[in-house]
Amino acid sequence: MKIIGVAACTAGVAHTYLAKEKLLNAAKEAGHQVKIETQGTIGTEDELTNQEIIEADAVIIAADISISGRDRFKEKKVIQIPTHIAMKSPKALMKKIEDELNATT
Amino acid sequence: METEVIDLSELMTEETIDLEMDATTKEEVISQLVDLLVQKGMVESKAQFIQDVYEREQGGATGIGNGIAIPHGKSDSVRQTAIAIGRTKTAVAWETLDDEPISTFILFAVSDKDKNNLHLKLLAKIAGSLANDYVCDTVKHANSPKKVIETLQEGSQ
Repeated sequence: MKIIGVAACTAGVAHTYLAKEKLLNAAKEAGHQVKIETQGTIGTEDELTNQEIIEADAVIIAADISISGRDRFKEKKVIQIPTHIAMKSPKALMKKIEDELNATT
Repeated sequence: METEVIDLSELMTEETIDLEMDATTKEEVISQLVDLLVQKGMVESKAQFIQDVYEREQGGATGIGNGIAIPHGKSDSVRQTAIAIGRTKTAVAWETLDDEPISTFILFAVSDKDKNNLHLKLLAKIAGSLANDYVCDTVKHANSPKKVIETLQEGSQ
């Protein structure tokens, strides 16, 4: 499966990057391709390309604030959660995404 | 491929790490960690920076689970972006994602004036490295500040 996402938190300093790594680890462990964009104090890093968005099966928005460029995902299956869910239970989140995608196909 | 070697020495030194804090409350932990940064000249106004840290605390738990908390504040009272790390002898009551008691604290002091983006990038890498259980466990149990720095340095590569 191809999973993409965006991480962003209030201060844009710590939780954003911790959430990103947790999501990357959990997705890779479950055998998915994954890329997570971060929107933090240093700006946007690992920005998602149009191609990646088109090809993605699911989009995870792990954010405590409103992210920029949300309309990029309007045609996609989007799972929106606060960063602490990504940090606390990334594996359960992957499972939920897999179940939802399997149910719709 | 990036071959840039990550050097954390601009952000933290053995002097900004105290593995034997006698703090027993959240207030004491924050105060003592900020003291470490004030002594090194990284933070100008202790009172103002502490206020910024509490503002962030109100925005949600900074306990990241696994017995670790990462309080942080962004402020113009911070002269240079820096990190202080402390471990208390007994667990301290702190809002966290799981029920693990917390005795390891990593305080991020982010400067509004410090225009060195590299510092923020390093901070982001260190935060990311805490997604790794091995890094967390080693920081929790390392017996010297040197080992803590080495672990974060390796974890951030």
